[in-house]
Amino acid sequence: MNFRKSKRGATASPARAVHQLVSRLAWGDAVGNQVRYLRSLLRGWGYASEIYAPQWDDECRDDVRPADDYPHEADADSALLVHHSFESRLVPLVARAPGRKALVYHNVTPARLFAGLDRKVAAACAAARDELLALRPLVEHAWAYSHFSAEELSAAGFPGVAVLPFAVDWRGFDVPPDASLRAELDDGCANILFVGRAVPSKRVEDVLKVFAAYQRLYQPRSRLLVAGYLNRDTTYGATVMALRELLGAERVLFLGRVGAAQLSACFGSATAYLSMSRHEGFGVPLLEAMYRGVPVVAYGAAAVPETMGGAGLATLRDDPVEVAGLLAVLERDTSLRAQVVAAQRERLADLGQEAVATRVREALTPFLEGRSPPHPAPPSDAATVVCPGFDAAPDAPMSRLARAVAERLPGASLWTVRRDVMPVQAAPGEERLGGTTLWRFTADEPSFGGEAGAPPSSSLEMGVRCTRGPVLFAGAAEAVAREAVAHVQARAWGVWETGHTPDAAVRQMLGPRLRELGAEADVAPLAGELARALESGGATHAR
Amino acid sequence: MRAEDLITTHPTAEAVADALRRLPTPAPEAVEVLRKKLDTVQAPTPGVEWPAILQTARLKRDTRYADAPSSHRPVVGPVLVLAKRAFRLAFQPFINEALRRQVEFNEAILDALALIHEHQRVQAHTQARWRQEVEERLARLTAEQDK
Repeated sequence: MNFRKSKRGATASPARAVHQLVSRLAWGDAVGNQVRYLRSLLRGWGYASEIYAPQWDDECRDDVRPADDYPHEADADSALLVHHSFESRLVPLVARAPGRKALVYHNVTPARLFAGLDRKVAAACAAARDELLALRPLVEHAWAYSHFSAEELSAAGFPGVAVLPFAVDWRGFDVPPDASLRAELDDGCANILFVGRAVPSKRVEDVLKVFAAYQRLYQPRSRLLVAGYLNRDTTYGATVMALRELLGAERVLFLGRVGAAQLSACFGSATAYLSMSRHEGFGVPLLEAMYRGVPVVAYGAAAVPETMGGAGLATLRDDPVEVAGLLAVLERDTSLRAQVVAAQRERLADLGQEAVATRVREALTPFLEGRSPPHPAPPSDAATVVCPGFDAAPDAPMSRLARAVAERLPGASLWTVRRDVMPVQAAPGEERLGGTTLWRFTADEPSFGGEAGAPPSSSLEMGVRCTRGPVLFAGAAEAVAREAVAHVQARAWGVWETGHTPDAAVRQMLGPRLRELGAEADVAPLAGELARALESGGATHAR
Repeated sequence: MRAEDLITTHPTAEAVADALRRLPTPAPEAVEVLRKKLDTVQAPTPGVEWPAILQTARLKRDTRYADAPSSHRPVVGPVLVLAKRAFRLAFQPFINEALRRQVEFNEAILDALALIHEHQRVQAHTQARWRQEVEERLARLTAEQDK
């Protein structure tokens, strides 16, 4: 990867109309809300602005125009904001549409979180990442709603990557609660709330486990409220329902899809909000809980720590017994609880509607005025050594091997997963480590160490996909190798440590280009061999 | 939970960790029982591969490109096979259109069967866990009675 600027940005005429394209305009979901909010802002700034989509909810039919109409209705002075969060099959339409285009990335859930549980969704998530790469040459700017997501765009080589502030319509939360539900829930029980669709990435099973621990160990008079659609016909739905039975926790309520008044009742009676989600591009329910004065306990995966901004209690551990302790301490220690709620309110001060509107305008202005940013240079042909565990354990044998290989190759860089979970910049961080160029990418999850190795990193995987030179997976059993090896198979080599055997698929794809690093082995001879192999372009002559 | 496992600025992670230490400690036996239960209740995540029982059907789901059957007859047979292959080659676009809905149906029914297979697997795991738990409780009761 190379983030040097290769050519200067161009200037086009300012846009007269700024439209938006989304794969589905849904009522009440985060993407739909942002799209409608941006339209109102754009119209307020004097631009003609419409929303185009191939599919939409019935409630949105007056807000939307068919996506197929866009290429006919747009002209060279039109600008298009393409929202991307799932497989859309809209790339050909974007390619043939006239006018300038920019990407608004909401993040795509990694396919691995659906693997084995929902084949169709897993395939659609993988296709969505392919589409993301296909959109790259078509857009002039790219924005994301978190540094976490922006990092992936930078890794993919998008031009003009920046973070767009997320707008939340706080007035939408000021709905009187459903009186009967509120009365039912206000019965002296401690209510733990989770809001969201029950899909594998949200880890509702972990919410159930934490609640079971809380009820058994700390508060028998407690209730779990899960407000969101759960499809019991899916494998995941059946698994969650079976787990509920086996755990034997009492008062677990799956409320399904709820209305605004019912949701107000849930938040109004909640002792704490609990999220164990493994992937959030932003995480609106966390902010909603903060707005309603409910303390938040959340597993710090993906953009969750960034969304919480230091408020609430984000945990780097997912052990149910330990997380249950956090719920208990919030219930029993009133002073601590008050401090948490006050800090949450302070966090929301930055997200006021007017401040967000100003920052959105600042972010969009270069695109609206036709100023294109410089395009990043194409990736170089130099070798890339991918060692996910380097940052966590730089002195481990695999890390020493990775560094030794990178130092032997001119122009090579060493890529690792950053141990710190909070992303601080839109692009992965580059550093010099002696003679080595080191890139640190943000992890999708904070769980370092243990048998599982380094956690997966979507931005690192995306970066690997976009390399052009030879790639060495120093840690072929790591999640990053499993996810990315198929895309760089012909020019990839791998090393695995004794006792950490790679997946059968990785072994098959790398074949003779896979080496074993013994527990007590000297890394120097193997580093020399691998460096020579990578220097010759990575391709092997072995059959 | 240690302070370094928390991200919070106000109150500080240390303050939260202190408050956690002040919590009444749950009985170690209760924690152990709970941990054991948490470890065993989760059904193993199914693999990404299709269930073996459906693999054969899956390979045959696309009925559009079936090869012409071979023939044992010495002279007429190869001619017939060749004619059938020529027919398929010439009319493949029409065959595709005629069988398109059949292929869609095959894929849909395979998805449904895979789902039923997974449901059955989850239910079997749940029942096994129930039976194990009942047996453990029974053993405990028997042991208490024998004392």
